Amino acid sequence: MLSGEYVIMLGFAGFVALILLTLVLALKMETIRRFQLDVNKLKKSLDEMDEQAKLIVRTDMELNKTQEELDKKISGLYALQRLSRAISTTLEESQVFKRIEAGYLEDIGFEKALAFLWSNQEKRFILHLSIEYLENEITSIESSINTNKDLYLELIKNEKTLSSISVSTTIKAKLNHIFGVTSFVISPILPKEGNKGFLFMGIKSADTLITEGDEELITILANQLGQALENARLFEETWRAQQDLEKKVEERTRELTLALEEVKRISKHKTEFVSSVSHELRTPLTSIKGYASILLTEKLGPLPEEIKQRLSKINHHSDELVQLVNDLLDISRLESGKITMKHELQDLKNIIAEVSDLLSIQLKEKQIELNLDIPANANTVFIDQDQIKRVFINIISNAIKFTPLKGKITVQSHKVDKTVQVDVLDTGCGIPKEAQEAIFEEFYRVDNSINQEVKGTGLGLTLVKHIIEAHEGKIWVKSKLGEGSTFSFTLPSVS
Amino acid sequence: MAIQVGIGLSTAKDLIQATKEAVNQASTNIHTDKIDLAVVFSSIEFAHTGVLKTIGSLLGSVPIIGCSSLAIISNQGVFKRGLIIMLLRLSEGVYFNVAYVKEIEKKSATAAGEELGEKLLYGFKDIRRDINVVFSDGLIQDGSGLISGLQERLGASFPLVGASASDNLSFQKTYLYFNQEVLNDAACSMLWGGKLNFGLGTKHGWKPLGKPRYITKSKGNVVDEIDNAPAVKIYEEYFNKDISGLKKDLKRISIFYPIGIYLPGEEEYLIRNILSIEGSGSLIFQGNVPQDSQIRLMIGTKESCLAATQQAVEEVKKGLLGRSLNFVLVFDSASRYMLLGRQAGQELEILKEGLGKDTPIIGIYTYGEQAPLRAISYLGRTYFHNQTITVLGIGG
Repeated sequence: MLSGEYVIMLGFAGFVALILLTLVLALKMETIRRFQLDVNKLKKSLDEMDEQAKLIVRTDMELNKTQEELDKKISGLYALQRLSRAISTTLEESQVFKRIEAGYLEDIGFEKALAFLWSNQEKRFILHLSIEYLENEITSIESSINTNKDLYLELIKNEKTLSSISVSTTIKAKLNHIFGVTSFVISPILPKEGNKGFLFMGIKSADTLITEGDEELITILANQLGQALENARLFEETWRAQQDLEKKVEERTRELTLALEEVKRISKHKTEFVSSVSHELRTPLTSIKGYASILLTEKLGPLPEEIKQRLSKINHHSDELVQLVNDLLDISRLESGKITMKHELQDLKNIIAEVSDLLSIQLKEKQIELNLDIPANANTVFIDQDQIKRVFINIISNAIKFTPLKGKITVQSHKVDKTVQVDVLDTGCGIPKEAQEAIFEEFYRVDNSINQEVKGTGLGLTLVKHIIEAHEGKIWVKSKLGEGSTFSFTLPSVS
Repeated sequence: MAIQVGIGLSTAKDLIQATKEAVNQASTNIHTDKIDLAVVFSSIEFAHTGVLKTIGSLLGSVPIIGCSSLAIISNQGVFKRGLIIMLLRLSEGVYFNVAYVKEIEKKSATAAGEELGEKLLYGFKDIRRDINVVFSDGLIQDGSGLISGLQERLGASFPLVGASASDNLSFQKTYLYFNQEVLNDAACSMLWGGKLNFGLGTKHGWKPLGKPRYITKSKGNVVDEIDNAPAVKIYEEYFNKDISGLKKDLKRISIFYPIGIYLPGEEEYLIRNILSIEGSGSLIFQGNVPQDSQIRLMIGTKESCLAATQQAVEEVKKGLLGRSLNFVLVFDSASRYMLLGRQAGQELEILKEGLGKDTPIIGIYTYGEQAPLRAISYLGRTYFHNQTITVLGIGG
């Protein structure tokens, strides 16, 4: 019984244990299942992460490609800018192509380059640039281009860029073969005038492919080359024209210098001639005048009235001749610079007063009023007193001569910069316009009735002009027929 | 006394004129007639024996070491075409030895590395060795092999930095300069030791993307399977392209989206660029990819790239512990040059700002870099890197 109970109890305990064990197992199973779920979840999220990674990698690769393309374009543009600057800073046609160096080419993204210009005279393409080509390669390319010149002339005519991405595969293969590249761009060089041509740029490595951006870049470069060639041509033309002009100016200047020297030589000759003749004349004139004077004193015996009259005339004309000779001598001395001016500070009013005294008889005779208008600031002049006195005597006596009875003469002055301008106004008959300049020339006399009556040497104003010029001044006249004349001249006012 | 340095740079067209110009500048800048070593970097136009002979005729029998690059890095800027010469006069107690090895493909990279290591050690027996700098042809297949060969001789954890020479990105021919010789399929190296301070920083800035995957079958630099599927599948999936589509864009994909090998404890993943895709779907990488490695697809941006430069500069400074810095060598991945594009100059600005405006800097763009994984701890074993900037600051 006991044992039976024991067995029953044991069986019960076993049962309980079994239940417990089942429970524990079930719990464990549940945990394992949960773990499994977690692991699956983790695996799933790892796979998801990997899927995301794939997306990231693909996007990143695209981004990198774009970035590379951009970088290439930017450095290409930079190189283009540097190259453009290099090309445009030369104005010599032969230098334009020399400015394209291998370094620039690499930065633009190309390896080889050639440039040809069509020569109208030789009827063929002539090489102007080659980079990364050997001598023998160039020779064969040059001959191939000139054999198939129509293709390239067509390119120039159409003004269109060709490239390995824009031409048919046959042409591409042909050009690749000729130029020894795998990709290329050919763009026309089109200066407005002069020889047109084309620029070739190529890549030999198969890895690098050209894009439309490259095509644009090379087109811009070829345009720049065209522009640079045009500029060089224009500059050359302008330069040549300028050279011609300079040459002409030089020639003319030389001619003028020679002529001027000739004039100077003649003038000097004339002055010397006048001077020597005058000297020669003065001695006999002095004798003539001396003898006439002695005879007129009748110390050698009384003279009949008729002879006396003739002798007086000889005496009078001798005086005139002496005056003439003296004037001529003075002029020639002034011209040759033999007279030096004794510049001193002088009072204009005083000089004019002295002159007025000297001419008082003539003034009285014609009842002419002489007015002065010399303000204090235009009174002091830096001059040779004797010479300027002669100027005033000449001008005022001329004015008296040509001014009718009861006329008026005014002497006025005013300051102009560092000079004093003196004006002598009269109410005389005036000087015809055509004679206004000529009156300062030697022996010139205005053709009018007064001149026919009143005698003069025709040297007075010439002398005046020389004296004023020796004072570094100017003299001129303003006049209207019947309305009087104004003689103006300038004198230095300060040293 | 510090190491005396004089740098000369020329971009002149004529090779000989450029060489004379650069040598004259460098000679003027160094302020001494006694020159121990000339380091020469240039664009491929200058990879010519005439250049080295001219240097020799101007400087006498000074050892010359260097290589070609797609662009040269200098204090004055980054130049696509040019020649830079750094003349060095060592201070007392600082030593170096230079050596080269030819015909790497024929000998196998590992054997060539061992040969180079032996030559370097010759004459360097009782002197403390500090660091080795190696330049190698950028087109040799097994860059990792060369390094393991060198480590075999110099010690597994000996600090070793290197640069693979580059050309104008045409991947046709890269050049090494050693004394009067211009070499291909070769490597040359300079071992430094004695009383030398140096700081080294290597960073790339590429970030992992997508889920982790495992290399299930690989040997050396050939990866056959990733996650038990043909290796190329990972790229096919990510870029939604078939093999021929991928091949067309390979250059870009290889540079911008390399794989990164996870290295426990390292800050950054170890980058591997794809060199080619096999018809079977296997991927050939520039550098080894061990089987069972955990890898991820990597992605880089200009910002992360420049941030890495900043971190590399910080590591150099940390390594120097405030001791003097006389000159800086920069080995910058060609990929970074391509990624940065027109902003390549910004990277130089970061270097100049971090290391001092007047500190002489010369550098190249490389097709692969070698540097220890943990530069500061001497235990760091050198690995072959891709996409990194390696900055080595030296003072003495």
